[in-house]
Amino acid sequence: MKERTLLVVVLVTALLVVAGIWVALNVNLMPAEASTRAALVDQLFRAMLGLAAVIFLLVEGLLLYSVFRFRQPRGDDGDAVPVHGNRALEIVWTLIPALIVIVIGFYSFRVLAASEIREEDPLVVNVRSRQFAWTFEYPGTSVISSDLHLPVGRQVRFLITSDDVIHSFWVPEFRVKRDATPGQMAELLVTPTREGTYPVRCAELCGVGHAAMGLSSRVIVESDEAFQSWLTQAAALPADPIEAGRTLFTRYGCQACHALADAGAAGAVGPALDSLADPNGPHAHAHGGMDIRSFVEQSILEPSAAIAPAFADGLMPKDFGTRIPANELAILVDYLVAQK
Amino acid sequence: MTSHSIAHSDEFRAGRELSLDHRKLGMWLFLASEVMFFGGLIGTYLHYKATLPTPEAALLDTVLVGLNTFVLITSSLMVVLGLDAIQRGHRRGLITFLGLTALLGAIFLGGQVYEFISLAGHGVTLQSSVFGSSFYTLTGFHGLHVLIGVVWALVTLVKAARGTYSAQEHAGVEAFGLYWHFVDVVWIVLFTIIYLI
Amino acid sequence: MTTATPALSPRRYFGWSTDHKVIGVQYLVTSFFFFLVGGAMAGIIRTQLLAPDSTLVSAEAYNRLSTNHGSVMLFLWILPVLAGLGNYLVPLQIGARDMAFPRLNALSFWLLVPAGLLMLASFFVGAAEAGWTAYVPLSISGPDGQTLWAVSVILLGTSSMMGSINFVATIFTMRAEGLTFWRLPLFSWSMLATSILVLTATPVLTAGLALIAMDRLVGTLFFSVPAGGDPILWQNLFWFYSHPAVYIMVLPAMGAISEIFPVFARKPVFGYRMIAISSLAISLLGLTVWAHHMFTSGMDPRLRVPYMISTMIIAVPTGVKIFSWLATIWGGKIRLDTPMLFALGFISMFLIGGITGVFLAAIPVDLHVHDTYFVVAHLHFVLFGGSVSGAYAALYYWYPKITGRRFDERLGKVHFAANFIGTNLAYLPMFLAGLLGMPRRVVNYDPRFTELNQLASLGAFLLAVSVLPLLYNMIVSWVNGPKAGDNPWKAKTLEWQVSSPPPAHNFDQPPVVTEGPYDYGEAPAGSLKPSPAAAGD
Repeated sequence: MKERTLLVVVLVTALLVVAGIWVALNVNLMPAEASTRAALVDQLFRAMLGLAAVIFLLVEGLLLYSVFRFRQPRGDDGDAVPVHGNRALEIVWTLIPALIVIVIGFYSFRVLAASEIREEDPLVVNVRSRQFAWTFEYPGTSVISSDLHLPVGRQVRFLITSDDVIHSFWVPEFRVKRDATPGQMAELLVTPTREGTYPVRCAELCGVGHAAMGLSSRVIVESDEAFQSWLTQAAALPADPIEAGRTLFTRYGCQACHALADAGAAGAVGPALDSLADPNGPHAHAHGGMDIRSFVEQSILEPSAAIAPAFADGLMPKDFGTRIPANELAILVDYLVAQK
Repeated sequence: MTSHSIAHSDEFRAGRELSLDHRKLGMWLFLASEVMFFGGLIGTYLHYKATLPTPEAALLDTVLVGLNTFVLITSSLMVVLGLDAIQRGHRRGLITFLGLTALLGAIFLGGQVYEFISLAGHGVTLQSSVFGSSFYTLTGFHGLHVLIGVVWALVTLVKAARGTYSAQEHAGVEAFGLYWHFVDVVWIVLFTIIYLI
Repeated sequence: MTTATPALSPRRYFGWSTDHKVIGVQYLVTSFFFFLVGGAMAGIIRTQLLAPDSTLVSAEAYNRLSTNHGSVMLFLWILPVLAGLGNYLVPLQIGARDMAFPRLNALSFWLLVPAGLLMLASFFVGAAEAGWTAYVPLSISGPDGQTLWAVSVILLGTSSMMGSINFVATIFTMRAEGLTFWRLPLFSWSMLATSILVLTATPVLTAGLALIAMDRLVGTLFFSVPAGGDPILWQNLFWFYSHPAVYIMVLPAMGAISEIFPVFARKPVFGYRMIAISSLAISLLGLTVWAHHMFTSGMDPRLRVPYMISTMIIAVPTGVKIFSWLATIWGGKIRLDTPMLFALGFISMFLIGGITGVFLAAIPVDLHVHDTYFVVAHLHFVLFGGSVSGAYAALYYWYPKITGRRFDERLGKVHFAANFIGTNLAYLPMFLAGLLGMPRRVVNYDPRFTELNQLASLGAFLLAVSVLPLLYNMIVSWVNGPKAGDNPWKAKTLEWQVSSPPPAHNFDQPPVVTEGPYDYGEAPAGSLKPSPAAAGD
């Protein structure tokens, strides 16, 4: 290659590299970084952006240069000097993009692996989606909320599902989304790193309320103390044991399947629970020798152990044991046992 | 200058140089797309077979359908013999073997209908379960292809009776033959994945 | 020399014809009509999105509009217009009288009519509203129009497959003497590569659509979650086709601009064989990447990385093409006529689309931007900045051949300017909106995205207006434009060696080819003449 050409190539390359580095360091197109993932993703994104700037400027530059430099001269109707190819050049422009792609692929893989490391003792949050709202449940407590509160700095393990069609749980400031597919449970690990309030968007068309679903719920990342106090307050029960029992009865959705006049419930999927503990009542024979309290507790925790006549097995959720904390279970059982 | 001054065979020069008849090539391409269509349905069937319990599978009558498979394979043999006949200029042979192909194809369809009715009697329908949906859809689309093949066999038979084909020119029979063998091969795959494994 | 031919009577274009040139024009005009329909839907969408909480259209109407905007643009505009170009040009480019199966060819076109009518008719019974992607279980319930939509797409896929059988058979068996594969014009190469995808991938979508139709009509349980149906199965069946579909939509456009660069730079195509091979490579690789649309779906996490790799690898043959095109014009004698402007615009805008595709392939980035306006921007850069610009380039380039007239060059340049500015203005802001948190398919949005949406809408309105000089030019020039002559661009491919428009049977005598299609600078321009068959090799 001629010396002058070499000099031009070196200079242009240097300029492009400088431009690329400048873009990577200074152009920020993302929202706030609020998770450990976000920091990693943003680094990857900015590196790719710098590279993209180089490629774009190179190709556009060559294109615009050609258009100006190699314009057909006025009055010249002839052909240009024919060049069919150049083996070396073609190898170079095949190998260099291949190399770039390999590097990006490898870097992406590293970021992905780093984003999905499981930590010990994550906070588990169930994300239930339905047309058209998010419901966040905190297992081990009775808290069910439409806003997502999270303590800063602790890994969250989201368990995501849908009750109807596919939705998608997305927090832009966390840089990650996961589809909520009916019939399936999807796991997502996120460690929030920045206190603040961020939007929760639905990112899969789910019907007429799809847009609304992205404008209602929020994520509130707060200090651990603030989080705990919210959790307690959200889980708070009335002081009166009967009122507390009634609250729990509806909080856990029992009224959907069971009738209970005291709680204003009229469900018909399972046996009615009025007169549950009446020794002469309809359920008296079913205790099987157990005391009434144990029987009621078993009925909640192991629904298949005793099925009332004319009712089917397999309808009652079997996971109340993990969902109802012990103290609340006691209150609920006391409440039911009091139904005579 | 009229179109007839350009000999028909000149148009397909490039094909002749590659030993490719454009009508047979067209049929191969069509069959390739049909393979992908059945591939989608087979993939669906296998996905659910692998992920869902299918107690209904115990109701499948492997012996009857195995016999039916033999019938279909024999019909393919009839097609081969028919093609061989016309390649040697024996028009009557072609007509006979096409008739046998259509007959065996119809018997196969009858066997399938019997299997469907028997399963439906046991409560396995299109709507009874995912297995029911995939079983009937997969075998049903295949049966539809067999039905089309039987009609095509009869049409080819009528054309043969009219003297359309000769030892030199019988591309239409070859095209039909390719289709029929394809339908047979698809059935062997279906029989294997539904009844045997 | 070739004999002059009277222009084809306009009435021929309205009826059944087995002449590939008539069928080609029928495809072009019909698909352009649907382009305007899809564009009108876009106009309503972008008007709705001028304000974050606009009530111009209801959420239900919005979902139906956005679903059908996508479906009409993809299935009734881009796929058929490129098929139409292929139909018109392939027999001419290879020196044949017509396609291998002329009646099948006519049938492929005429399937478009009921299919298009079905999709439009769906608005009368409640149009499809689950997105052009029709994810289940959402698409299983919903209005009757969803079923019409499914049937329409099945018909369109069938039309597409019939066309591809024709293209492959024609290219393999009807090339003129001396027209070896290494002398095949790149547009015809691209139709070959495209046809491989059509025949392999479309049937899988057909199968999936049949399952949806059966769930809706007959009560099968393929996608019934309570019965054990798997929504992810639909996604696999759908994307197995719909990813290769985007290459079906771009390869012919790339083929067209591969024809344009050598002509308007008066230089051979640089790296002709590598461009041809890259088309095949993109085609084959394109069949292996579909699950990159499913990274957030809960698919087996171990499978995500292989799909990322295969997706990124496609950037390599794509890059080879872009660099080859640049090397073609480098050192040439460039004329900036309208076809060349659109071809140059194609490179610039497809580059942005292609680069952002690599961003989407990077799984960690995709987990953030999937199903957001980042994707909407990416797809419009590749499809509008890419495929549509390429289609425009092709329309202007071959307009004189098809109509026998020259179009107005100034109007062409106005169209180009409006199209280029409009495309960038409409879609660049969308990248930012997506990165900042705006999801797709939303009738209302967070007010923080207002300015970005207003910019995008402005660009969209400019694009709407840009169609006017195009329409006027195409129609008025056909009626009144100056005669074009056989070869106004002095090109070397076979279609330019016959009259404009070509004679009824294309070539009075079968041509004999003795040199490549882009051998500029080595012989006087326009020297590739069909010789009588008696001249031999």
